[in-house]
Amino acid sequence: MRRAFYAAITLFGVSLSVFVILRILPGDPLVAILGAEGHAQMRPTDRARIMADLGLSDPLPVQYVRWLGDIAAGRLGKSFFRGDTVAEQILHRGPISAEIGVLALIVSWLVGLPVGILSALKPNSMPDGLARALSVMFIAIPGFWLGMLIVLALLFWFGYKAPIVIVHFWNNPWQNLQIVVGPGVVLGLAQGAYIARMSRSCMLEVISEDFVRTARAKGLREWLVVMRHALPNALLPVITISGVLLGFVLGGSVAVEQAFGVPGLGRALVTAVIERDIIVVQNLVLLYAVIFVGVNVLVDLSYAWLDPRIRYG
Amino acid sequence: MKDRTNDQDRPVSVNRRAFLKRAGTVGAGAVVASRLHRPGLAAAQDATVRPDPASKRGGTLRYAVHNAPAHFDVHQSGTVANIGPQSPMYDTLLRRSPKDGQTIIPDLAWKWEISPDSKKYTFHLRRGVKFHDGADFTAEDVKATYERIARPPKGVVIPRTPLFATVGDIVVVNPHTIEFRMTEPRPKAYMLGAFASGWNIIVRKKTLEEHGGNLRQVMNYPGTGPFRHVSRKDKEVWIQERFPDYWNKGLPLVDKLEIYHMMPFSPELGATFLSGKVDYARLLDPVSWRKAKEMQGVTAAAFNQSVIQAFWMNTQKNKALADPRVRRAIHLAMDRHTLVDVVKDTAPMQVGGFVYPFHEMSTPVAELEKKLGYQKDVKPAVQEARRLMKEAGYGNGVKNLDFVVRDVATFKLWAVAIQAMLKEHLNIESNLRVVQVSVWFDEAAAGNFDLAISAIVSTLMDPSDIFSAWYGKDGPQNYSRWTNPVFHDLASQIEREVDDTRRKTMVRKAEEILENDPPLIPVSYEQIYDAWYNRVHGQNPSTYFGIYDVVRWDQVWLS
Repeated sequence: MRRAFYAAITLFGVSLSVFVILRILPGDPLVAILGAEGHAQMRPTDRARIMADLGLSDPLPVQYVRWLGDIAAGRLGKSFFRGDTVAEQILHRGPISAEIGVLALIVSWLVGLPVGILSALKPNSMPDGLARALSVMFIAIPGFWLGMLIVLALLFWFGYKAPIVIVHFWNNPWQNLQIVVGPGVVLGLAQGAYIARMSRSCMLEVISEDFVRTARAKGLREWLVVMRHALPNALLPVITISGVLLGFVLGGSVAVEQAFGVPGLGRALVTAVIERDIIVVQNLVLLYAVIFVGVNVLVDLSYAWLDPRIRYG
Repeated sequence: MKDRTNDQDRPVSVNRRAFLKRAGTVGAGAVVASRLHRPGLAAAQDATVRPDPASKRGGTLRYAVHNAPAHFDVHQSGTVANIGPQSPMYDTLLRRSPKDGQTIIPDLAWKWEISPDSKKYTFHLRRGVKFHDGADFTAEDVKATYERIARPPKGVVIPRTPLFATVGDIVVVNPHTIEFRMTEPRPKAYMLGAFASGWNIIVRKKTLEEHGGNLRQVMNYPGTGPFRHVSRKDKEVWIQERFPDYWNKGLPLVDKLEIYHMMPFSPELGATFLSGKVDYARLLDPVSWRKAKEMQGVTAAAFNQSVIQAFWMNTQKNKALADPRVRRAIHLAMDRHTLVDVVKDTAPMQVGGFVYPFHEMSTPVAELEKKLGYQKDVKPAVQEARRLMKEAGYGNGVKNLDFVVRDVATFKLWAVAIQAMLKEHLNIESNLRVVQVSVWFDEAAAGNFDLAISAIVSTLMDPSDIFSAWYGKDGPQNYSRWTNPVFHDLASQIEREVDDTRRKTMVRKAEEILENDPPLIPVSYEQIYDAWYNRVHGQNPSTYFGIYDVVRWDQVWLS
């Protein structure tokens, strides 16, 4: 209950921040609506009329309460521009972005965890040095840059380009995979580097513990010592960081989707920010916040399940 | 019913004798026929678009262009994001020929007459034209469309309204004839160009009434065009199919259009085209375009865009910039050939002055490049610029200019180069402030800048359009808040002058005024890079002006 309360407070803070920031930032949504030439010709009466049509002429508290009321009623509002609803955008684009996020998470664990364990088991060896160098490299390289390189390499070497419109998994799994695999792997490798470093340091700490020495003294084979005794105890911090890394995945997906030309939610958010499409921006930011907070609450709750010593009151 | 309007039985080809004969009897034709060698002013009343005899029917044209418009009201728009995907669904009164992109030819009006005093334009409309919802097209639809464009209702802003400022009454003579009565004459080329603009699509009177005159949120309103709406996924693809009841029998030639959303000059657009995922790409970046040009089975074309890239100087905020000598000095301090070079891998550009450098009335480029400010060797221009600064009392330069830069790759590259040129040549120091597009126009409109760099478009190539919109005293894009009574008076005369020779002399005089008292600093003029696979036939935009007038795809076919 306490965690749910904190989560609600956090989301309230996010909603207030995004609402206020979007209204105080300079920039006129009517430039995108009317175009530069139309905007230059606009009369004050036209402005008043259009702003009223968009619901932007009411006092800010009224606009804010109306927005919260709409969310409570399940109405996520409409884009200022093309008339499509935010809910439609989420339903159409959300699955692609979600797939990319999940794939990134899987890749980060599949790559990061074995690398971290191997590094920890042979510290300061050549494989450890290589793994550490690679992990620093993947942390340092911006995902959108790597994404663009991959797109260009595939194009110029193989004349290949992934499908240019959204194909959902349930319509054509193969084409869908072609869309999500690039951004998923690029995001996953960057997060995998963090996981590798975290799991290495945790494993190094755990394998010098008494219970691991006892397990070895019992004559257990090394892989059993690692998998059954050391790893479960080293995983807790890695799970914690995975929750935090989800924030990086969500944030990173905005740029990486752009680099790969994937029309996901991240890309919709970029366009909405440029166009000052306030309703879309505030609802998508809130959605991202809900996902981030929700995953972190789940991570917190999973501690109790993973480590019986932890109990929440 | 005798069909005298649907000119299926009219001769398809135009020989010069027949053309001149008709032109002799039709006022507008008489003016333009003698200029057929200058496509900018040409009009051909009997040149309705016909299918290429060698053409094949069928297939799907996959076309990539920016197609995520902020709204769907073409009249209220000024961006390719509307014209690109929506143009194939609509017709205009007149249109530009897809053969050269310049000659004005019939569209929904099969014939037109202009009174000798140029104060009455009469259009004879085709019969048997259907909207996509099955309704008949009549003169009432044309009247409703043009009443809206010339006199928009409250809350509706139409960038082309100033083109029709002299349109008085619009009179429906009968369901297939309409008259535009002008309050004062305008050059015929100017008015015909306005009627042929791709922006002025004909919409149904009933549609406008149903939506209170505002179509911003109406995605699929019926047109009479060769293609009709099928489906649309925002920022992905707009699918249209052949309209079987299209008035121009035999057209369109392809069965389906798939219009993919790709941002202009983006690597994604280049990759999509080069990988063969689309047949035709518009607004390619220079690197992809050059690559496409080298490919076998691909044609790549460059053509002029209706845009000037420039920076403005706030004459009301900054005392130094109010002085014409300082502005002339800044104008002369620009190394324009280098500025074109700076962005050569980002966007294609060309050097030009205050009027489109490719317009027949402007100073020809060869002549222009002999003038100070346009020469490759900038030393003489810089010398003169320094003299002017000294004479104006700013020999030591100017400090702390607020330089507002629109957050676009080309403007950011130019801003740095211009900042360096101003410092090196004139000791003018500026601070760059990069802002999003919506902020840029806010700041420009509010006058919160000293220097501000961006790009602006015009509907017509005609100087009168840009003299009023860009340099007019209350011109919507006169961000410098520049005034020059002599120029404004001359521009007003140019707008009324119907004799082309006299008009050209006046335009050159206006250019001289602008050179000496610059309202903005021209940086360059944009070009457009298109490319298509050779299986696409019937469209080559090499001689087109801009990307807004010829986007119908009705004459295009696939092999």
